[in-house]
Amino acid sequence: MTPVIDTTMMLLILSNMALLGLSRLRSCIAVASFQGMLLGLFTVFAHMQALTLRILLIAATSFILKGFVFPRLLRRSIREASTQNEMEPYVGYSMSVMAGMGMLGAALWLGSKLPLNPAAGMDFVVPTGLTTFFTGLFLIVARKNALTQCLGYIILENGIYAIGVISVVEIPALVELGILLDAFVAVLVMGVAIYHINREFDHIDTDQLDTLKG
Amino acid sequence: MHYEIVLWLALLVPFVIGLICTILPSVRIALGAMCCCVFGTCVAGLAVIWHVFQHGAVFTVSNWLFLDGLSAYHYLVMLLIYCLSSAYAWVYFGEELRQGHFTRRQARLFSGLWCESFAAMSLVLFSNNLGVMWVGLEATTLITAFLICIHVSRESMEAMWKYIVICSVGIAFAFMGTLLVAASARGIVSQDALLWTILRDNAARLDPKLMKAAFIFLLVGYGTKAGLAPMHSWLPDAHSKAPAPVSAIFSGFMLNAALYCIMRYIPITESATGGTGWALHLLTGFGLLSIVVAAVFILFQKDLKRLLAYHSVEHLGIIALGLGLGGLGTFAALFHTLNHSLCKSLSFFAAGRLGQMFGSYDMEKMAGSFRASPLWGAGIFGSILALIGIAPFALFMSELQLVKAAVDSSSMAALILFLVGSGVVFVGALQHAIPLAWGRPKGMLKPLRFTALEALIVVIPLALLLVLGMWMPESLSAALKNASGIVQSTLPAEVVVFSGYTP
Amino acid sequence: MQTAGYMNIILGLVFAPLLGGIINRVKAVFAGRTGQPLLQPYYDIYKNFRKGAVYSTTTSWLFRAGPIVGLAAALVALCLVPVNGATAPLAFTGDLLLFAYMLGLMRFFTVLAALDTGSSFEGMGASREVFFSALAEPALLLGLATVARRTGTLSLSELLAATSATSPELVLVLAALGIVFLCENARIPFDDPTTHLELTMIHEVMVLDHSGPDFGFIQYGAALKAWVLGSVIVGLILPVVGGNFLLLNSVALLGGMFLLAVVVGVIESTMARLRLIRVPQLLVAAGSLALFAFILSMR
Repeated sequence: MTPVIDTTMMLLILSNMALLGLSRLRSCIAVASFQGMLLGLFTVFAHMQALTLRILLIAATSFILKGFVFPRLLRRSIREASTQNEMEPYVGYSMSVMAGMGMLGAALWLGSKLPLNPAAGMDFVVPTGLTTFFTGLFLIVARKNALTQCLGYIILENGIYAIGVISVVEIPALVELGILLDAFVAVLVMGVAIYHINREFDHIDTDQLDTLKG
Repeated sequence: MHYEIVLWLALLVPFVIGLICTILPSVRIALGAMCCCVFGTCVAGLAVIWHVFQHGAVFTVSNWLFLDGLSAYHYLVMLLIYCLSSAYAWVYFGEELRQGHFTRRQARLFSGLWCESFAAMSLVLFSNNLGVMWVGLEATTLITAFLICIHVSRESMEAMWKYIVICSVGIAFAFMGTLLVAASARGIVSQDALLWTILRDNAARLDPKLMKAAFIFLLVGYGTKAGLAPMHSWLPDAHSKAPAPVSAIFSGFMLNAALYCIMRYIPITESATGGTGWALHLLTGFGLLSIVVAAVFILFQKDLKRLLAYHSVEHLGIIALGLGLGGLGTFAALFHTLNHSLCKSLSFFAAGRLGQMFGSYDMEKMAGSFRASPLWGAGIFGSILALIGIAPFALFMSELQLVKAAVDSSSMAALILFLVGSGVVFVGALQHAIPLAWGRPKGMLKPLRFTALEALIVVIPLALLLVLGMWMPESLSAALKNASGIVQSTLPAEVVVFSGYTP
Repeated sequence: MQTAGYMNIILGLVFAPLLGGIINRVKAVFAGRTGQPLLQPYYDIYKNFRKGAVYSTTTSWLFRAGPIVGLAAALVALCLVPVNGATAPLAFTGDLLLFAYMLGLMRFFTVLAALDTGSSFEGMGASREVFFSALAEPALLLGLATVARRTGTLSLSELLAATSATSPELVLVLAALGIVFLCENARIPFDDPTTHLELTMIHEVMVLDHSGPDFGFIQYGAALKAWVLGSVIVGLILPVVGGNFLLLNSVALLGGMFLLAVVVGVIESTMARLRLIRVPQLLVAAGSLALFAFILSMR
């Protein structure tokens, strides 16, 4: 089981680096969708010995939500906002990738400090989850396009989800599904908000949303 | 009586009525339905609260929902604020309807979202399951986001976007913290690892390192929603661009709800880390930072609602400081919750009405409010006076108790910072408030006639603040002691005895 | 054992220019042409050796030394890389650093010779080349360091012998080294070897003024460089058949090199050259892949 989990985690981190380095929005959404599907599969792999219906349900929901529904909502927002590319971000792409490496290092350090005691063979999952978390945060802070910020939020939740899958098994399914539903509604709300912002401003460059100061 | 049913009803009725409100035929009917929903739930809620104060906590099915002393007290504050704000919304939007700025679509959206947010905040207070509490708070973020931009404009869009992004990130941090709490309980608690009552009972056996990490995430996350510095940047924008009733709800209750979530985690973290006060020190730090940052920004504000928003940051900082000091400080902090909510709601009510009259929120343009409308001018001036802590308003009393708590625990640095911050706020706010109320009015003014309802809305909070400042009823004191006992998981210390106070 | 050590040297000396021929043939096939004969690079080198050289009056001894030192460095590097399972003649602990620096020395002298001409075009090519290699070297070194850490040895000979299993880190290292290979040998997507627009050249423009035997040395040296780097990559992939199966290993190495040439040909035919501002991003990506593999290997 370990090689499978290791490969999954490695692909997850590679997808984070790709998100930091890509500029075209469609590519970013495709990578995020891939990440979501990977997480759905990971949920099954992580509990291979004790598969229950509940785990399969959660895995299937997150696979469909993150792999298909969220990207679809975001692509619709792209169409409505008619924006193709990222504007010049605050932090350049090469610098973002290097920052991503820094975040990986920080996540490894933090993961070693947190006594989460994961099961055997899963000790790379917590650093990966934290890296994904930091990547999402970085995307929200360092990018100007409102859609990329929404994408960053999805990645943030992905990271938390990855950590949650291995560290807590006892959260009742109702709460986990409620959390996934929350993420869904959040993305929906953000999409609608972006639509309205675009209608009002004719762009979704959040760097220009700076009239409220002080 | 089966009070569990009341809890369920208090959640479901606003939810359903909110959905109904979105299809009602006219503005007046929608607003009216909204008010009826709030008042009706208020009556039932008061019954449950009274029961809890007399007989102890109420639990529902499998202990997922409950109401104990702490949540009952907060529910009381919430009902009070919501009732006042709903009545005010009737008045405020009635005026807008007369001027033709409020469409039926906006009314439906507003009343629907208002009831839904009422339900969501009740969910936050009622849930024993910390995960459900998180879900409720996230729901309030998403629902109230669209309340901000009921009137679509560039600024309100910007404010809404900042609000959504910053608060969602904060809530995500809080989720990480919740996850870490559940992880630390793994193995110790067999099932329902997220139930607060179970966690509190087993708190001493939780892993201290994990709980510390969890508390940091939780404090930053819920603190973002509560408006603690340095995560407060969404607050001034959201409060200034939202319509006045919405701002009142934000400051009056939503910030308190986020702080309530932090309050739930304090006893658990304290027990898990061995009672060293580590969590309390962090809270004190954030509280002092909020007070200082707010004090600095208050000095050069031009917009009335932004000024009031920074006052909110300051007062939330004071509450956090009180919680961090412990003992009498917790009692003072909880008392301050009630006082601040009342006062801030009134000030936003007045600001809203005066803004409607003058057509802008710029304080220079709003000079001479008292001459233009004696009632609302008195409202704004009185509330600002109360906010900066003038005796004999209740805010002065709660801040005094906080000072005593600081002296008792010899936290001299905290005390000095608090006094300096409050002093700066005092001077800064008065410098704005005096011209605002008594200055020379600019331009021609149409005098506002006011109805009995408006008079009630102004008089009730002011009267309550005056009364509470001079006399604390026995039942309130007992309720506060009960609530602070829950936060500290110990018995509260001696209450300050002044003439008229009974401990 | 002695012959085994010299096997790669012999193979490299003989077959290195054939790699270029294979790449050209693959590109021709993709384009629907018949293309040059496979042995055309040999004919070109031979033709250049028979010609006389022309030296500009603005150049100095550096210009003459550049190609010679480059070829010498490539030959030394060749002596460091063995066929799988054998020990290279010059092998010692830490020789992978010497390997990387030999390639660097070759590049350095090419750049010096280019700057020595005083021409602005060559200066431009030199600055680009140095910039790209500054970004590519960390990727190369980190990749080699990762493999060294995994196998616990610092000598190329033992390194190539010990790695055969496919682990996630090795896949990442191979990806990074593949990108470095394309960059060091001035292939698409970094540089187009068939362009005749000086403004877009990088490697071609640096050697623009060389002629005759000097140019022959440069062509042969470039072929050897490709062979050397390629055999490191192929050696990392191929499993070692222990014992005295030298012939088998050599044939496998040869086959691997030809396959690598075909792959490069396919890449050249299907991709276009990257815009110059994108090249650093690709190299940083390669560096991050190598860094990531290194972090993984440190667990």
